[in-house]
Amino acid sequence: MGTNMAEGEPSRKLYWVIAGALMALLAMTVGAYYLPLGSFGAVVALSIAATKAILVALFFMHLKYEHPVTRLFSIGGLAWLTILMGLTLGDYLTRAYAG
Amino acid sequence: MSQARNLNPNWKRNVSDALLAEQFDDLKQQHTAAGLGMWAFLGTEVLFFGGLLTAYTIYRVRYSGAFGEGSEHLYMWIGAANTAILLTSSLTMALAVSAANHKDRKAAIHYLIITVVLGAAFLGLKGVEYFLDYTDSVVPHINFRTDWEHSAQRVELFYVLYFILTALHAMHMLAGIGVLLTLTILSHRTKNFATKANAIEMAGLYWHFVDIVWIFLFPLLYLVDGHKHG
Repeated sequence: MGTNMAEGEPSRKLYWVIAGALMALLAMTVGAYYLPLGSFGAVVALSIAATKAILVALFFMHLKYEHPVTRLFSIGGLAWLTILMGLTLGDYLTRAYAG
Repeated sequence: MSQARNLNPNWKRNVSDALLAEQFDDLKQQHTAAGLGMWAFLGTEVLFFGGLLTAYTIYRVRYSGAFGEGSEHLYMWIGAANTAILLTSSLTMALAVSAANHKDRKAAIHYLIITVVLGAAFLGLKGVEYFLDYTDSVVPHINFRTDWEHSAQRVELFYVLYFILTALHAMHMLAGIGVLLTLTILSHRTKNFATKANAIEMAGLYWHFVDIVWIFLFPLLYLVDGHKHG
């Protein structure tokens, strides 16, 4: 059997498709930069970035095919980051003074 | 030691060339354990960057005008080109892992080298950009102009975060290139290439993570207030 985990990973063709999608998303985010989106622009840019990150994690990093415990661990870092950002911003953004 | 050698003349070979380390039941368990450990490490890396990203978010919200003005003076097209380079390097890294899992040593080494070259290209382009930033006088503490529309101190804060975040990312790139070069040499030298597949896959996870960090740094640093160009 060897270390061949080939059954549990995407085909090489799928890697190229994902890479194509990532390039298309990069083109989209640069294109959106020139649109008059105002403060909505940040939402668009970060949504595209999140989509790219998910594609990389699911396919290039094999998360889609991994053991459930590994998938749980992969969300762990994001869970702590949410706590870090959530509590900190909950303080800073609700203070009476600005600037 | 000499006694162990006498008892088992192949002891050393067994340790370095064994496909399965003795603490694991089977190869699948060994593979899953390695992946689990790597993802736990990547979780700590998320928080390593997370503190800086939280600081960035607070000041971006509070000093949005100054951050927009600072961002406009970055070289967006260099950042976009570097994003394309890193995304391509993630593809070649995934192909290297795939080749290693199929025990194709030649293809794995081939793709590892392409990945290293793309990583080096990213760092080279980043270096050029840092030089241009210096000539533009936007390097805090070293060469920083004061004639901004918004408060110079607030714009400077944007550039402090820009340089710390991108330098921290560049250090991760350097570490990744070092790991990949080491694995290239080990793959070339080993008698049993199948023993390197797991290590190449774990190095791949790190490489893709560093790519993901840049995927977020690009819009956060380069694409602030794009509507002004519309």
